[in-house]
Amino acid sequence: MFKDLDPILHSQLRLAVMSLLISVKEAEFTFIREKTNATAGNLSVQIQKLKDAGYIDVIKKFNKNYPQTICKITKGGVKAFEEYVNSLQSYLGKE
Amino acid sequence: MEEKELNEKESLSLISEMIQKAKSSFHESGTSAILWGSVTAVCGLLSFAQVQFGFSLGFDVWLLIFVVIIPQIYIIIKERKNKLFKTYQAAATDNVWLVYAISISAIAFYQNIVPGISDKLMLDEGMQLLQKNIATGEVKDYHFFIPSLSSVYLIIYAFPTIATGLINKFKPMIWGAVVCYALFFISLYTSFKYDMLMLGLAGIANWLIPGLILRDRYNKNIAC
Repeated sequence: MFKDLDPILHSQLRLAVMSLLISVKEAEFTFIREKTNATAGNLSVQIQKLKDAGYIDVIKKFNKNYPQTICKITKGGVKAFEEYVNSLQSYLGKE
Repeated sequence: MEEKELNEKESLSLISEMIQKAKSSFHESGTSAILWGSVTAVCGLLSFAQVQFGFSLGFDVWLLIFVVIIPQIYIIIKERKNKLFKTYQAAATDNVWLVYAISISAIAFYQNIVPGISDKLMLDEGMQLLQKNIATGEVKDYHFFIPSLSSVYLIIYAFPTIATGLINKFKPMIWGAVVCYALFFISLYTSFKYDMLMLGLAGIANWLIPGLILRDRYNKNIAC
């Protein structure tokens, strides 16, 4: 039996964000936007969905009077990401 | 990038592409390594030159190290604020250099405090060390000193560099540290004058050259 792929992760932009965040300790919103080529509005919505799922932490602070949004993956996010990759590999192994 | 459903192959391909993008984004500027390498090289080589050529600058040239600490702290804070992300390697490397800073400062205190305190403790017990010239029979006061402390500094210099080189898989730093360990073994057999020369060479091999290589890579990356 194959597990259903996690619907939160199985979308292009959210998966791209999670893949970036699994590689670094933390990243600023502008860095994620630059690497994913996403619009700020769409990225904000997807980040909020990942946050609501408990996969990432979002920290808002100020740097030189400018607002800064820092994202970092949570333990739950790492676990979900690993399970997602395992599921993908088992699907591909079946082909 | 838009919000759309992916098939399994596209998902795996996207994951590997984004991981690669994150990895290739990290480039150390090398500024701190160049700064430390330069000041250590200048201090070591000037100390050697003073003994070799018999002149005096009139102050302890190693005090320049403390002068460099202020711009060093400024550079670290500025670089941290400007970074848009932090890797696990960078976090580990920062901790290694923090331990180095604490250790090198502790040894500087040890070097400056222990000999004087040892003299005082002996005097408190009514004892004094004397040295006798076996040729002339002259007897003089003898004060505690720590023999070949430069060798200990060489070991401490190598530690953060090899750790950084291994964590980041950066060969110039690994080789720099290997040179530093070789200089340590040589310094066990040499006098103060050549120990100073080796501290200067260690600054060049350990930090200055790897720092210049990092800087070159950083500039090329900025230009891309």
